[in-house]
Amino acid sequence: MSSSTDPISPLTWEEHLKTLFDDLFLTREQALQELKENLQTAVQIELATIPIYLYTYYSINRIHTRGENVDNPSLYANKAAGIMMSIAVEEMLHMSLSANILYSLGVEPQLYKRSPNSYPTPLPSHNPKGPPGPDRQTKVLVPLSKFSYEQLWHCLQIEYPEPKIAWPKDRNWNTIGQFYSYIRCLIECHHLKDEDFQVNGAETQIQSYNYSPNSIDTIYPAQKFDPWKTPEGSHPGGYPSAAAVAQYPNKPDSHAGHAELITISSKREALEAIATICDQGEGYAHREIDDPSQSEYSHYYKFLGLQAQLERYEHHIEKLPNLPKPPAPITPTITDTDLEEIIYNFPDNPTTAGYPQDYQALSNLCNGVYQYMLILTETIYKVPNPEQKLFFNEAMHRSMLWVLNRLIKHTRTFVMDNGYNFAPTFENIDLGSRQDAYTNLLALTEKITEESQLKVVKEMIETIKTLPDAGPYWK
Amino acid sequence: MSDSQPKAGEPVPQPYPYQEAPTWPQQIGTPLASAHPPHACMGLNSCKGQDRFGAAGPTDGPEDKIGKPNECAGQGYCSTTTDHKCHVQNDCRNQGGCGLNGTAEEFEQPGINDCKSLGSCATPINSERFIVNGRYQGQSVWLRARQVFHEKVWPQLREENPDLPEELPPIGGGDRMGELFQAGPAFLWISDNNANRRSIVACGSSDMSGATP
Repeated sequence: MSSSTDPISPLTWEEHLKTLFDDLFLTREQALQELKENLQTAVQIELATIPIYLYTYYSINRIHTRGENVDNPSLYANKAAGIMMSIAVEEMLHMSLSANILYSLGVEPQLYKRSPNSYPTPLPSHNPKGPPGPDRQTKVLVPLSKFSYEQLWHCLQIEYPEPKIAWPKDRNWNTIGQFYSYIRCLIECHHLKDEDFQVNGAETQIQSYNYSPNSIDTIYPAQKFDPWKTPEGSHPGGYPSAAAVAQYPNKPDSHAGHAELITISSKREALEAIATICDQGEGYAHREIDDPSQSEYSHYYKFLGLQAQLERYEHHIEKLPNLPKPPAPITPTITDTDLEEIIYNFPDNPTTAGYPQDYQALSNLCNGVYQYMLILTETIYKVPNPEQKLFFNEAMHRSMLWVLNRLIKHTRTFVMDNGYNFAPTFENIDLGSRQDAYTNLLALTEKITEESQLKVVKEMIETIKTLPDAGPYWK
Repeated sequence: MSDSQPKAGEPVPQPYPYQEAPTWPQQIGTPLASAHPPHACMGLNSCKGQDRFGAAGPTDGPEDKIGKPNECAGQGYCSTTTDHKCHVQNDCRNQGGCGLNGTAEEFEQPGINDCKSLGSCATPINSERFIVNGRYQGQSVWLRARQVFHEKVWPQLREENPDLPEELPPIGGGDRMGELFQAGPAFLWISDNNANRRSIVACGSSDMSGATP
């Protein structure tokens, strides 16, 4: 959302200058080439955020205490997890939007083995130095780490809002907004026409019906609730129903185009997609919100709101931008001791090679599923509408919800010999060619031989066998 | 992290409100009453005698209920489709539940979907479940499913059988069961007074679906 009349903000003075530069000093071929390269980088920036946010999400135990017995730390845990997931879902949307623009230009987006190679990681082309954090360090290196005050700072580093005066930049950018601003100028320049965004048709892009802003995992309760009550309130007295206290962090009007996930066949639609990405991430017009109903916070402000409830926030030393104005501390305050109750003891920046031997096959399987999901995402572009709906459900929903999600949730309770809980490492494991990836993924399931692990993951292995084989699409 | 917390769903409401109802069957009874396709939940059956108890009716519970199948379409006690946990896990047409994972469009039509893997969420649809996306956000999935059944399926059934009433009949035929199940099958009934939480399956991590194991 960018104004009440036009969802796309007018170009800033800096963007006007940059667009003029592109008009005068770039050839049409150069402008197109730069745009394609930067969109692939955009896809990889969005992709890089997903394992980081998911890792932190899965470190949270949402149901340590429940329903009418829920205490303040657990209420916070459920809220933090719901918000983390709401952001991760929108990052998947942003990746899809950038990928749709790139595909419309005639280029297949690359995802397989394009996740960060190791952690802590810089984001692609990000300025390695940023504002000082809670440790007074200025490095912009984001770890895979459990939920904590420090990890929220790293999330803020990713979503740091663009200042009012900021030059568009595609290298050494300080904010994602600056990076997309650069892309916006390329799209706006006179070299590019609507026809450039019609090289690959809309019917094979990721369709809008594949996205929904909320799920049972993005919502959270605002207070204690009676889990036995129906949404209409089946019996009087006591606490309200779950439906009555449900909070929905993502709002349906939080987008610039006709839908959140749009296909691209014009300059206008490409600009709408970018407006959705930027507003959801950093907020609209230097404010904390991103939607016309003014009820959805930007990613930056969502993270900051979570930090504001932690005890260290009141005396924070990290440098926050003036706009949007940081919130006052939020009560009830959650202490470090409270966090110990609700957070699994995930290691920092784990690798399969660094795990005890008897957990390496399990870690490889998690990585195999993750990489196969990226191949399935690339494959969506080979399945036209309307068949895409069934493929998307059977490929993406099944692999996300019923394989990877359950694998992580069921195995994070394993405490390894090193004292840490088992956690996904999100590595770029090699599944061979896209044609052979499914066979190689199935081979990884055969390597799980530990009885205690096999008992827990057997059902997920059976579900892996029901995933579509992407191989035939890549012949 | 310690694990000495109260169990999920405790304390349960007392006294147990479903003592007068037939006991929830863990397995779908056989044989089923007719060749009509399986349905997603309570009150969505297309013909007499068709529900989770099978053609012979309930086998456990109060004596006056045992061996008495439902009398009419729309009165059945629960689903005949294979129980499943979530989005895309349905076996066939019109077998998806709804509410937890899926799109606003899917959430408008619980119990109605085109084919295998296009259903949205677990069946049976426990009465505590609510819709998380779209214009029915926050409202009961089961009540929406009954409304859709009334608007889309019931007129067709009445064409086939003009004796059917204009309005949907209450669950169980109008005695106390209609009152007990006016919002659908409660998890308290399905879980046998919270004794068997895994007797229904629903997904999600937020603990808000009313049936998270």
